Amino acid sequence: MRRCAQGLSLIILLLVAGAYVLDDLALLLAAGILLCGLVGQYLVFDRRFREIVSSVSVERSLERTQVRKGTTLRVATTVTVRVPPPMHATISERLSSQVAVLDGDTTLSADPDPEPRTCQFRYRITTVVHGRMRFIGITLAVRDAFFSHEIDLFSDPFSGPDLLIQPVGIFEPAGKRTTAESREVEKLKVVSGFGIRALREYYAGDDLRRIDWKLSAKHNKLFVREYTGMVSLPPLIIIDLPWHGTPFSQAALEQMVSVVAGLAEHSIRSYQYVSILVISGANLLHFSPEEKDLQRCMSMLREWMHPVPRVVHQYHATDRSAIRAEIRHLEAVIVQGGEPAALQFSDRVRKHYQGVITHLRTPAFVGQVARTFSSLKIDECYLFSLASGDTSHIRQVIRQAKIAEMIVHIRLPGAVIAAHPAHDRYLSADTVEAFA
Amino acid sequence: MKAEERDYLFLAVLAVTVVGVTVWTGSRVWYLSLILLCLFGGVFYITRRWHERGFFLICAGVPLMVACGAMSTWAGLVAGWMIAGCACNAMGLLARPRERRLFGVFCAVTLPVALMIYFSNHVVVPILILAVVTGAIVAVQQIRDHQWRKRFGVQL
Repeated sequence: MRRCAQGLSLIILLLVAGAYVLDDLALLLAAGILLCGLVGQYLVFDRRFREIVSSVSVERSLERTQVRKGTTLRVATTVTVRVPPPMHATISERLSSQVAVLDGDTTLSADPDPEPRTCQFRYRITTVVHGRMRFIGITLAVRDAFFSHEIDLFSDPFSGPDLLIQPVGIFEPAGKRTTAESREVEKLKVVSGFGIRALREYYAGDDLRRIDWKLSAKHNKLFVREYTGMVSLPPLIIIDLPWHGTPFSQAALEQMVSVVAGLAEHSIRSYQYVSILVISGANLLHFSPEEKDLQRCMSMLREWMHPVPRVVHQYHATDRSAIRAEIRHLEAVIVQGGEPAALQFSDRVRKHYQGVITHLRTPAFVGQVARTFSSLKIDECYLFSLASGDTSHIRQVIRQAKIAEMIVHIRLPGAVIAAHPAHDRYLSADTVEAFA
Repeated sequence: MKAEERDYLFLAVLAVTVVGVTVWTGSRVWYLSLILLCLFGGVFYITRRWHERGFFLICAGVPLMVACGAMSTWAGLVAGWMIAGCACNAMGLLARPRERRLFGVFCAVTLPVALMIYFSNHVVVPILILAVVTGAIVAVQQIRDHQWRKRFGVQL
């Protein structure tokens, strides 16, 4: 009963009590009429409620029907319902405790309409417990001025489909194993590694040696391990040479030469070849792909490893993604609100950035680096730099390497790392370390 | 007929009933029913833009219904119908023909209740009958509801 019906019930009770105490038939007549109205309204509400429930149809679509635990999944639920006036309906999606709602709406209101209406929930879930999960159904809440009712619709037409959540080996060490000539990657490869990248249900044809008997016994169902893949690709060595027009540490350069030479030698001995890319600022100077001869590689390093003149300068240019991030940040600041003067300033800067981004051209250097990376079969690169002067080209190289799905290691002089330990500029790199 | 016209029709019939029964019975406290009619008219006017107008109309109409019922059971019944009509109209429950038919059913159902009270000398028996019938309806409805909900509550 809602507030209106509760008020009416109270009036009826008072009238009946008064009629009984005073033995007054007029009070009883008023109570009788109100009681007839209230009971009649209840019967009408109940009938309409059943009509609404019988008009409900649910259709649910999932992005995938099999996922690994921890995966985020998009779900769309379409509910068709006819809510005649003056009723109001609220529909809520009921989800199993095996998943957590990440974002989106799981509750919506259906406005009264004599014709059937179609509403849609769109939300994302994260799977938190492995096993088979069924979408339970919906809860329909209907109300009018006097009454409200709620019903859980969990039967077959409103539930489903099933989602199979595969377990993952959460106790596996995070670090990748590396041998002298190969390392593990989180991909299926012909040669299997030692680490377990996933656990899944057994399918006919799977190698019986890969069955995880402990997990299978626990769930009374066969589970197999999926191992990591092994790759034996040498890293790409990128050398960022200093500009002769800017001061730099000669000792740091000599250290860099020595470390690069050592890494190149190790790569040739372990992987049979090495690729070296020589740049200086935004100038691509030399590229030696898949060099197999150690002597030739060393002579090439001797030839190039010294300060060089730079034809192209970037003058601390900001790349497009950094400007976009800045615009997003300023928009968030404006939405949060604050001092009018500060908001006006943020808005002006945002407009300036938007003006800049429309006229910003991609530097030729970025295209050259992207073409160089695309010609190589490599998944890891080491970038050596003295980080003196303008370093905007380093961010561009990191970005292109990330687009090519490479692991990026930045190696800088110890003094530079000590001066700027956080190194926000190279946040997207996988490691930033001193080469000496 | 528009909702506003229906409202004024119910109010007019109510006013005619109250005045008519007051004159016909020649009650010594004739002014009481007229004061209550004015009170109902005032609430009718003041609450015309309020959200829960129906409830306020019922609250204002109950004393008038009792006053009319004290003079004549049938006048009380007609006053009850008209007040219920005003309240239903205010809540938008008479907008469609089907709902107006349901209002007719309500009027028809209250007729035996009035008859029972008309032929009763004391309130105990009618109270018991009303309580038993209401209890039976609610109980049957609860059982029906429970049986019906079972069809949808199968959790797999």
